Amino acid sequence: MSAKTSSPIAIASAVLLVFGLNARAVSPTVDFQEQIQPLLAEHCQKCHGPDKQKSKLRLDSPKNILKGGESGEPIFLPGHSAESHLVKLVTGADPDEVMPKEGKRLTADEIGLLKAWIDQGAKMPGVETVVAEGITTDHWSFQPVKRPPVPAINSPAVANAIDAFVLDRLNQKGLTPSPVASRETLIRRLYLVMLGLPPTPEDVDAFVRDKSPDAYRDLVDRVLASSHYGERWARHWLDVVRYADSNGFETNRERKNAYPYRDYVIKAFNDDKPYDQFIKEQLAGDAMGEDAATGFLVAGPYDIVKSPDISLTLMQRQNELDDMINTTGTAFLGLTLGCARCHNHKFDPILQKDYYSMQAVFAGVNHGERPLRRKLDADDACNLAELKKTLTAQKQGLEKYQKISAERLAKMPADAQRPPVNSKLNEERFTATEARAIRFTILATSSAEPCIDELEVFDTNGVNVALASHGSVPTASGTLPGYEIHKLKHLNDGLYGNSHSWISDTSGGGWVAITFPQVEQIDRILWGRDRDEAFKDRVITRYKIEASSDLQSWNQIASSDGRKPYEGKPDPDEFLARLTDNEVAAVKQTREQIRATQADIDTLTGNQQVWAGTFSQPDTTYRLYRGDPFAKREPVAPDEPTVFGTLGLAQDAPEQSRRVKLANWIASQENPLTARVMVNRLWQYIFGNGIVATASDFGGNGVAPTHPELLDWLADEFVKGGWSIKHIQRLILNSNTFRQSSQPQPEGLARDAGDSLLWRFQPRRLEAEPIRDSILAVSGALDTRMGGPGFYLLDVQEENVMHYFPKEKFGPLEFRRMIYLFKIRQEQDAIFGSFDCPDGNQVIPHRSRSNTPLQALNLFNSQFVLQQANFLAERLRKEAGDDPKQQVTRAFELAFARRPDSFETSVSTEMIHTDGLESFCRALYNTSEFLFVF
Amino acid sequence: MHITPHPLLNRRRFLGNTGTGLGAIALTHLLSRGGLLAAKERESAPGKTPIRPKIDPANPNAPRLPHFPAAAQNVLMIFCSGACSQLDTFDYKPELIRHHGKPMPGADKLITFQGEQGMLTKSPWEFRPRGHSGKMISDLVPHLGSMADDMCFIHSLVGETNTHGPGENFMNTGFTLDGFPSIGAWSTYALGSEADTLPAYVAIPDPRGTPQSSVNNWGPGFLPAAFQGTDFNSSKPVRNLARPASISLSKDQATRDFLNTLNRHRLENYPGDSELAARISSYELAARMQLSVPEVSDISSEPKSILKMYGADESGTPLKDLKAAYARNCILARRLVESGVRFVQLFNGAYQTGGEGVSNWDGHKMLQEQYSKHGPVMDQPTAALLKDLKQRGLLQNTLVVWCTEFGRMPTFQKGASGRDHNPKGFTAWLAGAGVRAPFTYGATDDFGYQAVDNVVTTHDFHATILHLLGLDHERLSFYHNGIERRLTNVSGTVVRDVLAT
Repeated sequence: MSAKTSSPIAIASAVLLVFGLNARAVSPTVDFQEQIQPLLAEHCQKCHGPDKQKSKLRLDSPKNILKGGESGEPIFLPGHSAESHLVKLVTGADPDEVMPKEGKRLTADEIGLLKAWIDQGAKMPGVETVVAEGITTDHWSFQPVKRPPVPAINSPAVANAIDAFVLDRLNQKGLTPSPVASRETLIRRLYLVMLGLPPTPEDVDAFVRDKSPDAYRDLVDRVLASSHYGERWARHWLDVVRYADSNGFETNRERKNAYPYRDYVIKAFNDDKPYDQFIKEQLAGDAMGEDAATGFLVAGPYDIVKSPDISLTLMQRQNELDDMINTTGTAFLGLTLGCARCHNHKFDPILQKDYYSMQAVFAGVNHGERPLRRKLDADDACNLAELKKTLTAQKQGLEKYQKISAERLAKMPADAQRPPVNSKLNEERFTATEARAIRFTILATSSAEPCIDELEVFDTNGVNVALASHGSVPTASGTLPGYEIHKLKHLNDGLYGNSHSWISDTSGGGWVAITFPQVEQIDRILWGRDRDEAFKDRVITRYKIEASSDLQSWNQIASSDGRKPYEGKPDPDEFLARLTDNEVAAVKQTREQIRATQADIDTLTGNQQVWAGTFSQPDTTYRLYRGDPFAKREPVAPDEPTVFGTLGLAQDAPEQSRRVKLANWIASQENPLTARVMVNRLWQYIFGNGIVATASDFGGNGVAPTHPELLDWLADEFVKGGWSIKHIQRLILNSNTFRQSSQPQPEGLARDAGDSLLWRFQPRRLEAEPIRDSILAVSGALDTRMGGPGFYLLDVQEENVMHYFPKEKFGPLEFRRMIYLFKIRQEQDAIFGSFDCPDGNQVIPHRSRSNTPLQALNLFNSQFVLQQANFLAERLRKEAGDDPKQQVTRAFELAFARRPDSFETSVSTEMIHTDGLESFCRALYNTSEFLFVF
Repeated sequence: MHITPHPLLNRRRFLGNTGTGLGAIALTHLLSRGGLLAAKERESAPGKTPIRPKIDPANPNAPRLPHFPAAAQNVLMIFCSGACSQLDTFDYKPELIRHHGKPMPGADKLITFQGEQGMLTKSPWEFRPRGHSGKMISDLVPHLGSMADDMCFIHSLVGETNTHGPGENFMNTGFTLDGFPSIGAWSTYALGSEADTLPAYVAIPDPRGTPQSSVNNWGPGFLPAAFQGTDFNSSKPVRNLARPASISLSKDQATRDFLNTLNRHRLENYPGDSELAARISSYELAARMQLSVPEVSDISSEPKSILKMYGADESGTPLKDLKAAYARNCILARRLVESGVRFVQLFNGAYQTGGEGVSNWDGHKMLQEQYSKHGPVMDQPTAALLKDLKQRGLLQNTLVVWCTEFGRMPTFQKGASGRDHNPKGFTAWLAGAGVRAPFTYGATDDFGYQAVDNVVTTHDFHATILHLLGLDHERLSFYHNGIERRLTNVSGTVVRDVLAT
């Protein structure tokens, strides 16, 4: 332990002292050629010489000695022999690292010579002129982008430059491209690839009938202008930047305010924000009025379990910074910078020092929330008052429906089962009773000590007589000690929510009573755990409520008997069950309005928080030997990797300037990687495979491009077109290469089964999100509301660590597009997670496409898909009437964007006859055709 | 339903089709772009080029050959969540008993996970010699003690973290961070499974819930989803496995047949397209699983003597009910092993709920009280599982691994009656196929604090398990996001001393 914490300098001096006694150390000038070189030749060069270069180290010339090996550690520090790596190795300072590994160890005399030479400045002949060999590379992706000439090919198959490059390669291989696909196929392909949703039958019809020569081009323009486009393409970007809505690790707390980053990305794609600006904002949006964009920096997992154990804490911080370095490197540059954490990169010209230069760029970035800043108008105060008024009115509008529902419940026959208790609000109605006090006894809870945020008792005039302001007094069996916000007085203070609630001191039990100033006629009680819906734990699941008119004898007036059993799935929307479709729609709309109003208020008052980078001026960053936080080496300045040049920043440069400078370098026209990496991603998400198969690795360990000229042409076009993503996509989508049929040709399959030369459009299974979104769109249930906080497919149980349970029931709140799913790390969606859906723990540049029995089971048997199949059946009856043949036609149009052929019509109508429309719809959602893009 | 369905795809014929001719070419390339096969040969280490399993998309878990002849065909990994103390179970330290109540030299300066250390504290349970080998094992786990002659103890394991989530990740995936493939995913990615109607890889969570790192313990990481562990236990079935209650059997079958008809009709336009064919076969396998999983999970056919042996017949108190539920999971584990499932992961202990150390082995403050419950729950059923595997001859092909995320301190925490986290030296044991037993390898220091003799890193441990499965841990790799990833990251050495031959 002590060795680790002692200063290296202290140890060094101690060692120096010992060796200082050695006569040789004080001998006259040591000569490199005469005395040191023979020593290196004898002991070292067998492994580190012209024949072998273990650890990429050569010790046979001054130039190579200065260059060092892959550890990134300088061989010596002139004037400081004891701190020099070479001396440590040959003296065996670390028993696990002794050199030479084979052969004779250096004698004490030889070591003394070596030390003396270093202490005298480690002079080598010509060392004034010998500079460590500059780091260079001839790897293709590090070379400047040069716009290649478009191959001159005369063919009707060439619609634009892309086709010329593709056809050129096909010609070389003797393959022919496929004919243009049918219009039905094309529109479905365009919609699914670009929007992640199927076209409506009306969309298809209009396109098929469009006689204009520009029909297809116009369709592409319409698709690119759709706001669904941003939702589809943001999802790809979120994969690349490992976005999720929870911290991960075992505590896995929610990040309720991470979504502004998601909204930012969606909007950026929809607005066709120039990609260079998109980069700069994500790295340094705080300098550009785009706070939410810096969610990029901290979107990754974050371990909140801190410990007094310093080695743990230091390593956690190293891992946090590593996550930022790695994501920045792979997402924007296609460089695996993370590989240089412990040693020089094995495949790319990235030094270990470069890794720590990047670390210095991010060293002042921390995880957390901060207010989302907005520029305020002059009449903001006026707006605020107006907004608050609106909010009150909207909330009253919502309560109206709850009342309607409650009234209907009251009118229901007594033997009808009551709904299960929920965490938000529960109602007890009973015949009017005289009471001086009521007592609420808790018999069981969903977890831990029970919590009530407000207990309201109404008299027959509808007045809450339980309020403290009414003169009523609460008593209880006991109260959880130590929490101001959970004191007994909060039981009847008229304030809702967890911050004004009572918690019992008994796990799963306790009682609470309210004594009124006089006898009251009461007929209704409202109670809940958290009317603000933030907490769903500590719910009382079994209870009885008694009344007493004389404070001596008690009569039961209500209890949990007759309620449906609590299933650990609190359902604050239970009241919707007794509302008509129109009323439910009105509730939905009102909620949406409330949310929007609240968001406006929060923005104005600065209450809107965002999970984004928080920044502070960092301490000096050091290179760490082997990545060990206890093995600090020389300090490093924030910088780009050496091979590209330098940002020219000082070691103590202001925090923000570090990120701004790095962003400017990444987003510059001269950067050879940035444009190439992005156009390749665009290509990959359209065709399924990239021109470079390893989308986040353009380095030496990646795969070479199949069409290098095309890649460079696109990269150049991208930059020339003002970094417009839609410009590149428009080019690709208007190419004949994209419009090819997907049907296989024997010749193509035999020679290029993977379609890397693009002789057809390769069919592929859709990802989890477009599958779920398509199911909802086809059933007619899809809620296309954009932006804002996500929806949950998991119920949350909150303790020290969070527990999540998949929902079993789905309502309109869960019918939004899946990009808005509140994404919990580790906890995959129970149905669609199995479709290779990433959980945000890792950067995912390219999703796998498995086909597994669990996927089949989830689609075939889940309540969600059955429910949607029933919705689809309803829709078909509504839109196509009762004739099975019409129903089949409509179903195929909705699901497949085409009409059925005669065989399909005949088997489908028979299916409907024998087993019903619902079964037919269930099968439809499971077909390969529905799940694939062709 | 009167449609004559196309005969359900016959798997053998299907494989015949996809394995030869155009289909075979198509499927090889299909997965190569996804990163499964070699995009190009990379020199990760001289002479250590990756060996990439050929994955048939229609049957990703078809059995595959190991890299070299394997001692073990399958693995049963028993994981004690919460960090089960080595000092109260298998790591006997007479010096700790002798120094009971005294400070540990240097411990005053030690800051561990929760903070400062109190005095050295001997185990509340006596140790005594067990079996012919006379291995000293505590009275907390007497039933396991009776199996000592079949066990190979490793007392010198070391980890890299002292936090539960990262610790579980490290033991089960080789990385402290989330999102890396679990050891079961690596194993099935390499080897597939002999059980063609059951999942290749099953994780059996504790009756009290999932472990602390939850599904990351059996996640596929960046491997294809086909290699994810399927989680179920004797009380919680596979989600969406059963036919929905609202659908009759005949309607269900008719729907399946109709689906197959439509899919095969579509396939006619896409001859040789293996991804479409794979889709069809996934439904077929799903249908088989609907029969086989309930069958293998149904332990009602087990004789009374077996239930008694495991303790699955106990009831009456919450503790006995818990023990019986865990015992039923143990029986399930045996039945899965018996059915040829490649990798079975059995959990004892769940996430933290109800307070520290209540639902798992995390005995910080009240070790004796809490372990007095955890010990009996784990001991008899786990020992019976080992005994049962042995009496059925299954240990000849099955490697049994018992482990936990890290160990605990020989001291009690300052001001408390329990032990803090300690990744510097802890115990695991192996049994069964290819394992040298009875045997003890490696040792901690006199007090059981740090591994000092024959230190085994978690990567070494994993390398050894893979070796027993006939896999070279340096060559079993998967290219992800620029890096040739391995279970053992960039280190690991097979511990040859624990091998039978």
